[in-house]
Amino acid sequence: MNKPRYKHNIEPDYNRPLFEIPIDSKRKIINILTLLYGSEVSRQVYPELERIMKVYYAHKTQELIEWEKTFDRSDIFSLEDVILITYGDIVKKNSEKPLKVLADFCRDYFSNSFNTVHILPFFPYSSDRGFSVKDFEEVDPNIGTWADIEDLNYDFKLMFDGVFNHISSKSKWFQEFLNGNPDFKHFFIVLSTKEMISEDHLKLIIRPRTSPLFTEFQTIEGPKLVWTTFSSDQVDLNFHNPKVLLKMIDIFLTYVRRGADLVRLDAVTYLWEELGTDCIHLKQTHAIIKLFRVILDTVAPYVALITETNVPHEQNIQYFGNGYDEAQMVYNFALPPLVYHAFINNNTAYLTKWAQTIQKVSDQTTYFNFLDSHDGIGLLPVKEILPDNEIEKLVYETIEKGGFISYRTDSDGKYSPYELNITWYSAINGNYQHADDTMKLKRYVASRAIAIFFIGIPGIYIHGLIGSENDVEAVLKEKHTRSINREIIDGSVLKEKLDDKSSLISRIVSELNNLINIKKNEKLFHPNCLQIVYNLSEKLFAFERRAEKGDDFVFCVINVTEKRTSFVLPEGLVKTENTFKNLVSGYIMNYKKNEQIEIDPYEIVILKTVKNKSGV
Amino acid sequence: MSFDVKYMLDDTVAVIDIPERLDASCSSELKDKISEVVNKSVYKIIINLAETNFIDSSGLGALVSKISVCKANGGDIRLAAPGKRVLEILQITHLDKVLNYYHDIDEAVNSFATD
Repeated sequence: MNKPRYKHNIEPDYNRPLFEIPIDSKRKIINILTLLYGSEVSRQVYPELERIMKVYYAHKTQELIEWEKTFDRSDIFSLEDVILITYGDIVKKNSEKPLKVLADFCRDYFSNSFNTVHILPFFPYSSDRGFSVKDFEEVDPNIGTWADIEDLNYDFKLMFDGVFNHISSKSKWFQEFLNGNPDFKHFFIVLSTKEMISEDHLKLIIRPRTSPLFTEFQTIEGPKLVWTTFSSDQVDLNFHNPKVLLKMIDIFLTYVRRGADLVRLDAVTYLWEELGTDCIHLKQTHAIIKLFRVILDTVAPYVALITETNVPHEQNIQYFGNGYDEAQMVYNFALPPLVYHAFINNNTAYLTKWAQTIQKVSDQTTYFNFLDSHDGIGLLPVKEILPDNEIEKLVYETIEKGGFISYRTDSDGKYSPYELNITWYSAINGNYQHADDTMKLKRYVASRAIAIFFIGIPGIYIHGLIGSENDVEAVLKEKHTRSINREIIDGSVLKEKLDDKSSLISRIVSELNNLINIKKNEKLFHPNCLQIVYNLSEKLFAFERRAEKGDDFVFCVINVTEKRTSFVLPEGLVKTENTFKNLVSGYIMNYKKNEQIEIDPYEIVILKTVKNKSGV
Repeated sequence: MSFDVKYMLDDTVAVIDIPERLDASCSSELKDKISEVVNKSVYKIIINLAETNFIDSSGLGALVSKISVCKANGGDIRLAAPGKRVLEILQITHLDKVLNYYHDIDEAVNSFATD
């Protein structure tokens, strides 16, 4: 039974019986609310939360309700899942609505490879390219309407951003706070004077930015200092106030109702603030994510949570919870800097060592394997993986290739590099001038192949898909280093280049499309299949994907150097003589144990055993 | 145009004078000049910005075009006498946190002498 295309009605249907919250879900929800607010407040809050869930459920189509009865949670991710990351207005064409232009491009050029579109925040905003949301429930009229989102959802699964950590200082909520409206009095974290927080407490707080933690605003009651983790325009919401939590849950389920199949919890690390702590990854933050998960499991089990936590790898994967009770997917933040490191050093040692620790977590969770996004390449995720001098090398390489660095303030007040701002194409090929376009293409595609075939779900940012180079002019114009990777694309020019089969853009898209289709057509690349990473040579990145049961496997090898080299298949994988098909080249090869297999510069080899007619 | 290079501290430090405008018209020449210096195994480079009041994106790229190799060989690229407008560009791009800058050439040269 296929998932219905129309999942929700515009209006709730109260003629049907109201949803009865299963007792197990109720127990879990009350436990979490008690952890957050204590038992008395928890009892007061629960009925409203139950009402919100019932209202959501009343919007579901009967087809969706019937389909969900057959839905197996281990099918939440599929072989087909490949995510295109894009702004809703990154491609512009004449005066057409950007969301419509995007939908046309997705259908005409990308639907053969991508089944999911992550539309970065498409709400009205005041700064940070959408991440300073003014109204969580509206589509920015400059880019389209909810009908345009619905239209895209007809052919693609959608990922929405839940920017729940903060809200724009220009939002109605914050303006009402400034106006002294009692309903919004406790929506934000407010100090009357700087003396209310000690220097010791301030030093403990881990910051992702160099901007001041508190911003002074003039309110009807005089000046107030308000907690602003990311910028003076992005005011942190106060989840200590259960009304804020209820409001965000309502918005969260509105997103599900509006078509979200995945909800990306932006900057969720910083959700709960508690003086006297570092204010990241607090147990209350994890509890809120678990609450979202229980709600989804209860009323929308086909929707997945993805946490965006740009932090050291070990802390990042804590957001999987026990594999069944928190995020279904986490951004694999260590992957981009390690792949970058491997390609600029022609050496996979660090990548391989880290990758050997990456295992399947559960049949309901997986990694989001991205190399680029609207943000930069995070460095915190590899803090414990790469030595400081190797991180420093990445910084200088990036600058040399025309990229920039974003910094954060450490507890000692010093600045340290936080992320590399550079397009993936410039990162890989930025100073690879001696190579011709074909070699650059091979090198680029080889880097991307790692994220396509690695255990998890691949995601490609639109500028990575078309191989954009750094947009330094935009950085200077917008005075923001992240603008380097956010260039507005002229739709007419893009179309022309995509239609010209000899253009570099067209060749990149075509090569990536081929790889994605190899992945989609081979069931052993399912996110629930296992992965074993091998240390064959420092020039190669090699891993095996196999099902939990049976002997079938695919063996992937990627040469990260411009030199031809060779490898021997790991002993346990081969009998005396085997016949393999290289899924990339299509060649069949007979292989004798311990035989050397040649691999060209930046070649991608994916070997699968060819069975004879009797299946042996 | 051609860039003047002076060698100091027993030829271990190169000082390159930059014109009023560092843009696409001369950035590749600066890159070549820096490469030439580095090819002589001089990895301590001072970029003299005393006369410069404009740098564009290609100019920025040229300034840092050999920073990896300089750093890897115990050297650095340092700036001397950047003006207000140049500093503003460096601050926007956060290059002010990577490239140390000094009031004048003497101060920049001394910074290498005391390393």
